[in-house]
Amino acid sequence: MASPHNGKNSLNIERTQVSDQVLLIVSGRMDAESATEFQDKCEECIAEGHTGLVADLGGLAYVSSMGLRSFLAVAKTLQAKGGTFRLCCLKGLVKQVFEITGLMQALSVYDSVESAVLEGKR
Amino acid sequence: MPCTSQSLTVTAKPSSLGAVTEFVRQGALQANLPDDRIGALDLLVDELIMNVCTHAYPDDRPGDVMVTYSVPAPGELSVEVADRGIEFNPLTADPPDLTLRLEARPIGGLGIHLVKTLAQSLAYRREQGWNRLTFGLSARS
Repeated sequence: MASPHNGKNSLNIERTQVSDQVLLIVSGRMDAESATEFQDKCEECIAEGHTGLVADLGGLAYVSSMGLRSFLAVAKTLQAKGGTFRLCCLKGLVKQVFEITGLMQALSVYDSVESAVLEGKR
Repeated sequence: MPCTSQSLTVTAKPSSLGAVTEFVRQGALQANLPDDRIGALDLLVDELIMNVCTHAYPDDRPGDVMVTYSVPAPGELSVEVADRGIEFNPLTADPPDLTLRLEARPIGGLGIHLVKTLAQSLAYRREQGWNRLTFGLSARS
């Protein structure tokens, strides 16, 4: 749901299932206020027992360091549970931020939803 | 042409970020910064404002942050973020180790690294109780 305070800062997360993975389609902007929405959504999935999450960031136009914190936190949580957290479809400023901070290597980043979902199944 | 500056003072809390972002974007328009610089500008403002929100003032007594922009030359934007909180120079923080694998990476510490990388110029000074951090962005890459 869009933020009531400022539409410019809104984050939209659509949840679906692809194979045995939960797919979160993320669009909008991830900053200090909306990063917690994303982390809460992931924790909700994990609490339901899901250990394979894929986040499609193709519609994400902006991410601040608070957003990066939530990605790292979710990735660490799933890693500790023996699960997986994969990001895909990064572009523009978001991709640039991941490159600047070394997260293209530290996190599991893929070019497409298909490659993220199929990883490990070959 | 004289270089005039514009200032905005807001309470240092996350919900003030939207107003500051819109304000600084006016400076980007005046400086004729191209569209592909706006993302970096938003991010610089975000990280510096959030830094003040997090570090400058005690939790129970938030203070103000003053943001000032000026256009020193066509195609150049200068932005200063100032607060009266505890003395803190974010530029002296240790750089993060970007080669660490996921399990060893700390959750935080990336904001200032982004600021240092995205800003084309960056300077800090402490002056009469104020922390003043100034960055510059240019239309030229």
